[in-house]
Amino acid sequence: MTLKAKHMLINRRQAIFQSLGMGAFAFPAVSAMASSSSTSGRIVIVFLRGAYDGLSMLVPHGDARYAQIRPNIAIPQPDGTLKTALALDENFGLHPACNALLPLWHQGVLAAIPCAGSPDSSRSHFDAQYHWETGKPGSSSPSDGWMNVLSGMVGNGAGLHALGVGESSPRILSGPRSVQLVGNGLLATRPGTLAESKTREAILQLYAGNEKMANAMLEGANNRMSTAAMLKAPNMAASNEQQAANNGAGSPQGLALDAKHLGVLMQQNRQLRLGFLSSGGWDTHINQGNVTGLLANNLNNLANTLVQLRAAFNEPNDLVIVASEFGRTCAENGTRGTDHGHGNVMWLLGNRVQGGKWHGRWDGLAQNQLNEGRDLPVHHDFRAVLAQALVASLGLPRTQLSDVFPGYRWDVMLDGIFKT
Amino acid sequence: MTPNLRFISFKPLGYLLGFCLPFYLAGCAQSPQTLLATTPSFSPIEVQGTAAEWRAINRLTYGPTPSLIADIKLNGRPKEWALNQLDAARKASLERPRLPSDLVSINDSLPTIFDGARKEREARASVPSGTPINEQVVNEKRFHFHDQTEDLFYNRTQVNKAIAWRLASCSSDENEQPMLARMTEFWFNHFNIFQQKGTVRPFAGHYAINVARAHALGKFEDLVLASAKHPAMLYYLDQWLSVSPQPARGGQSPRGLNENYARELMELHTLGVNGGFSQNDVRELARLLTGWTVAPRAQDGFQFVMRLHESGHKTVMGKSFPSSAQFVGLREGEEAIRFLANHPATAQRVSRRLAEYFVADLPPKALVDLMASTFLTTGGDIYQVMKVMLNHSAFWDPENKLYRTPYDFACGSLRALNAGNDRNKWLQAFGYAAVSGHGIQNWQTPDGYAFNANTWFTPEALTRRIDFALTIARNAPERSDLYPYLSDSTSKAVMMQAPLQRMGFVLGSSELVFK
Repeated sequence: MTLKAKHMLINRRQAIFQSLGMGAFAFPAVSAMASSSSTSGRIVIVFLRGAYDGLSMLVPHGDARYAQIRPNIAIPQPDGTLKTALALDENFGLHPACNALLPLWHQGVLAAIPCAGSPDSSRSHFDAQYHWETGKPGSSSPSDGWMNVLSGMVGNGAGLHALGVGESSPRILSGPRSVQLVGNGLLATRPGTLAESKTREAILQLYAGNEKMANAMLEGANNRMSTAAMLKAPNMAASNEQQAANNGAGSPQGLALDAKHLGVLMQQNRQLRLGFLSSGGWDTHINQGNVTGLLANNLNNLANTLVQLRAAFNEPNDLVIVASEFGRTCAENGTRGTDHGHGNVMWLLGNRVQGGKWHGRWDGLAQNQLNEGRDLPVHHDFRAVLAQALVASLGLPRTQLSDVFPGYRWDVMLDGIFKT
Repeated sequence: MTPNLRFISFKPLGYLLGFCLPFYLAGCAQSPQTLLATTPSFSPIEVQGTAAEWRAINRLTYGPTPSLIADIKLNGRPKEWALNQLDAARKASLERPRLPSDLVSINDSLPTIFDGARKEREARASVPSGTPINEQVVNEKRFHFHDQTEDLFYNRTQVNKAIAWRLASCSSDENEQPMLARMTEFWFNHFNIFQQKGTVRPFAGHYAINVARAHALGKFEDLVLASAKHPAMLYYLDQWLSVSPQPARGGQSPRGLNENYARELMELHTLGVNGGFSQNDVRELARLLTGWTVAPRAQDGFQFVMRLHESGHKTVMGKSFPSSAQFVGLREGEEAIRFLANHPATAQRVSRRLAEYFVADLPPKALVDLMASTFLTTGGDIYQVMKVMLNHSAFWDPENKLYRTPYDFACGSLRALNAGNDRNKWLQAFGYAAVSGHGIQNWQTPDGYAFNANTWFTPEALTRRIDFALTIARNAPERSDLYPYLSDSTSKAVMMQAPLQRMGFVLGSSELVFK
């Protein structure tokens, strides 16, 4: 390296150092974007890994067979109390643990699609999640996540357009386009050892012979400090801070904190148009409970998370979507739980949603109406639901949908799920 | 002979000149032209010096323990040392693992493990409805296994012990032959199973030991067959349920073919996605394997059930099965697996992945071709394929860089700190790998973890690596035997720190972040 080149390098480092050393970090792109209200919306996916029991959340109390095939785990017929299903109409009710969602239903911003899912029949969580996240049912071949593909089609030019909070590297966001990934729980709020300028300087010395390492270290330190700074009060309400970080796959309890972080980060950086959250703990093969119990606790956490997301994503075209990789058996199994099924309930939350009602086909729980006599059928491909959402919320032209979901079909039966 | 000449001609002259670094290569007294003319088939260049020592130790093992450094110095010839490692690893693979006494249950007989899983099922069924089970109880005690395992948590305890064994074996020369630990990781990942799938849980450690480790340097076809018949794989990719069409009976749904395993067997374990197979081949292979299922009371955990097997002719990749009357039923499936395991596309795929793992993210084609041709001529002898790789100049070429994966870095750190039996440090290493997205035996899909720099060398990941390095090495005693391997600028930065802070900076240095 010539003396001059070395000198220039040092000058550039000094510039980075100065911006880091200030204490308050400059986010030029962020602050410029924050004030301008966006014309098109943002989409947040809440993915419930392990296949949540949709028939416990959207209770088909109008079907007499529901209680018959679930002798121990059915949610009782609505009687107006919180010990039974909360009636939505003559067919369906909400799990009482989801009480917090009832106002959103009545405001007309929350809707359900009872029989959605993958056309592939796999009952393997991992295959089905992979299919869901790549948008390619039936294919296990290496493939980019559909949100990664989509992040290259929204927003203008450079900058990150997709954010994942919780998982270190979810398939749905993986691919060639850069996305922002933030650790789960309190991990996101920790700037790490490099927040100390003395440590940064010492590590910079350590990488004196390797510019690539030095720059990566500085960029990473900067990202983590800015994320941690954005997640500080007053951006964060104090109420969730005490929740413990959850190692490994996010738990339903951890979901609320991750959702909080996601909302704050997407509010601070308006270039981010796509958000992804997930939680595990939904694979309820045994003792799932009914009005109370394991699943009820999880549903309660989910409902609280959705209320929180509603507050952060309430602009005209913002949209929150809840789904799992598949559904569970309609009947309870021999261990007071449910096994892997097929179709499942998807939820849509946002001002554009034709809410306060459920959409699509529902033929009840008669055995001859069920997939293989046991599961909810898939009347609506999850990709068809998502395709409607991408058009309504993001303004994506229909011609581009097959770049995100190759081979999907537009489903006209879903044409009414969004207000035009 | 031919492949090696191709290798030479592939590279410009400057490439060969690049080898002539001081102390690195003994063969550099010759001019490149002489080298071209006189190079024998293998081993064109003798390898010497600290850079070669460092490379051998960090690539063939997870990193430098004091004893490995002493050993390679004593030997004085890094390539000979590397070949000795290979021999020692093969020898060790044929012996039982040296499991710490509290981890032996992962290598119990398969009937014993099935029995443990059954007891857990029964214990869970007797829990009153609506009573939550605190699954975290087991994880809070992670890596301390003095207590009697409760029936309720047998499977999760087995998982934690399996993880503990991976940490024990990667981080200490006393627990495992160090190169064999690396080979075990490679094959486990190639034939990945996900230990959080409920039915797989109790078998994960047994699978690592008896499939990945036991066949690590044997014949590839034996490795594929061992994986195919192991309960962990039978459960993971649903093969145990794949049967000829069965009508509904006794309240059970009708059953039939499941293509899951057959597809991955061709796409990931053997031929590769571009290996020339069609959807019809997948279906035919699935038909061939119908009736392969688990057997809780059998010593090998496997059984073939003729009643559930689809008879008749099948054609896979243009080859007809069963090939003769003697090869029907179980035999036809075994024959098909041997056929796939020895296919040229498999030889290419396996050789390329080994070269990616040990040599470079984009290994020279000549090296891969040479390994693949060795694979084919030796009947898929992994030991011979590895030997070709170690004898090839590409392995020793400093231009071929590799970035450590998080798991690699976690193990390397434990070794550098001489902490192979420090279970509190295991927990830190485990946690670092998990938050980095490289949880131990924790990848959900059958493709296994990636091991290239594109995946793992990202800004935020580097900062977490530095966090981990500075934390785990806090107040660790210095390892002055490592200093000769550090560059001048690294040494200078390390020495600026107080003695008890230095190891953190050694771990975070580019010498240990890369390998």
